[in-house]
Amino acid sequence: MKNSDQINIELESSLPNTGKKIKIAHKATQRQQRLFFGIVSLLFIVSLFLIEIDYQVVVKGLERTPAIISEMTQISFEQFGSLLSGMLSTLVIALLAVIISFIVSFFLSFLVANNTTPNKYVGIFFRYFLMVIRSVPTPIWVLISVASLGFGPMAGIIGLIFPTTSFLVKAFAAQIEEEGNDVIEAIRSVGGTWWHVIFKGLLPVLFTGLISTLGVRFELDVHESVVLGIVGAGGIGYLLQSYIQYYKFADLTLGILIVFITIYALELLINWIRIRSSAR
Amino acid sequence: MDKGRAPMTLPGKKIKRSLTLIFFGLLIILSMKYVDFNVLELFQSIPIFISFIFTDFFPPNFSDVADYVKPVIDTLFISVIATCISSFLAMVLAFLMAHNTTPHPVCRIVARGIVTFLRSVPFLLWAAVLVVILGVGPLPGMIGLILFGGAFLARVYAESIEEIGSDSLEALDAVGATYGQKIKHAILPQFLPSFFSWTLFMFEINVRASAILGIVGAGGVGVLIKESMSLFQYSKASAVITIMIIMILMLEFITNRLRRRLI
Repeated sequence: MKNSDQINIELESSLPNTGKKIKIAHKATQRQQRLFFGIVSLLFIVSLFLIEIDYQVVVKGLERTPAIISEMTQISFEQFGSLLSGMLSTLVIALLAVIISFIVSFFLSFLVANNTTPNKYVGIFFRYFLMVIRSVPTPIWVLISVASLGFGPMAGIIGLIFPTTSFLVKAFAAQIEEEGNDVIEAIRSVGGTWWHVIFKGLLPVLFTGLISTLGVRFELDVHESVVLGIVGAGGIGYLLQSYIQYYKFADLTLGILIVFITIYALELLINWIRIRSSAR
Repeated sequence: MDKGRAPMTLPGKKIKRSLTLIFFGLLIILSMKYVDFNVLELFQSIPIFISFIFTDFFPPNFSDVADYVKPVIDTLFISVIATCISSFLAMVLAFLMAHNTTPHPVCRIVARGIVTFLRSVPFLLWAAVLVVILGVGPLPGMIGLILFGGAFLARVYAESIEEIGSDSLEALDAVGATYGQKIKHAILPQFLPSFFSWTLFMFEINVRASAILGIVGAGGVGVLIKESMSLFQYSKASAVITIMIIMILMLEFITNRLRRRLI
């Protein structure tokens, strides 16, 4: 360190000291970035002032917090069995929703992708239709399906199918458009049909991408399906919601831990599968 | 016929593949058993669901539109505040987490642990817990979003910092730059494009998320949806949902424009 300091000083003294710095940043980019940060901080301050927070309630809540935390640290394993079975049905709901959506979206994505769609207008129609479906958050879908079908895992699965399908179609179609052109041309040029293009040409090429997209979506759906219980479809969320309602914080801690461990383990597993399938 | 065909895959791989398929088949059958799922019921339920949407939700009833303005604006405020705070916290955590900028390996492990825990619990659950502690209102929702969003951003920021090549860091090391100088001149310029792109992405996610926070009582338009749904006023609920869709699509359009300008 000392050595380099010395070199620094020597360099500085050997240069004519004008006190100016050579600017190396790109000016236009810098200006744009400053503008962005300026506007964002303005927005931030404005929203901070305009949002109404009832500070009395917050202060009361903060007074209660130590008691709640001390309750939460006394983990009770009383509900361990029912929490585990709740977690399992949460996982199952997510898995079934992903599989059903995969079957539907697999075919839809070939209708939507620019280079495989049999009819351009059909493709555009589905594209916009799915965009609208995607912009409704998943819990809203589940609320609607619970309202129409009643409580239970079926409502959860159907509520998840819609957003999951539209997500998968978007991702698959992008992959097909990105990688498919050469394969499609090759198969078309030897007289292959639309079915040949899809099953003999695109499916093997896209396999790795499909698996990793499915993995990502399954992870997301597990998150969603934990939440689903809170709005009334089955699974662990229902239990957690009831613990929150009846102030059973000791059970709640265990529930949160189970959710955390499951989702983390799932993430590791999916990463492992992704690495394995891309190595093939 | 078959003699002339060259096998496309090795036999060993074929066995492995069919074993994987059998495993997944069994997994699916077992999970269908577990929740008493049958395909027939699915085919019966989907038409009920769709006809429910078309008969009960249409046409949307916009008569109370003036009452919806404030929750919509609240939703936007919540997502702006949550995105700003979470991206600031995430920056700090990311510099502690990334292996090329961490001040000490212990920092790295601790930060990683915190981030993994916060990220692996759904934000609506955080919000639901916080509503009990801090009372109904926008604050618990905001904190829930900050906890989850901060952890998510910290992970992706750290990943993009780690992707930055070591060339410029080495060069600055060689001229004896301090830690702060290295961050400012080597890391930040290369990290900013992915910072913008991920932060804008987080903003989109936060808008959607804060729209549903109301379901657990944490402010925003979600409160209206939950209320009107539980009072069976479905046409009102559909009006709120329509407004929400328009809001989300508009913001998505704006963030896409911004992303193109900034990167």
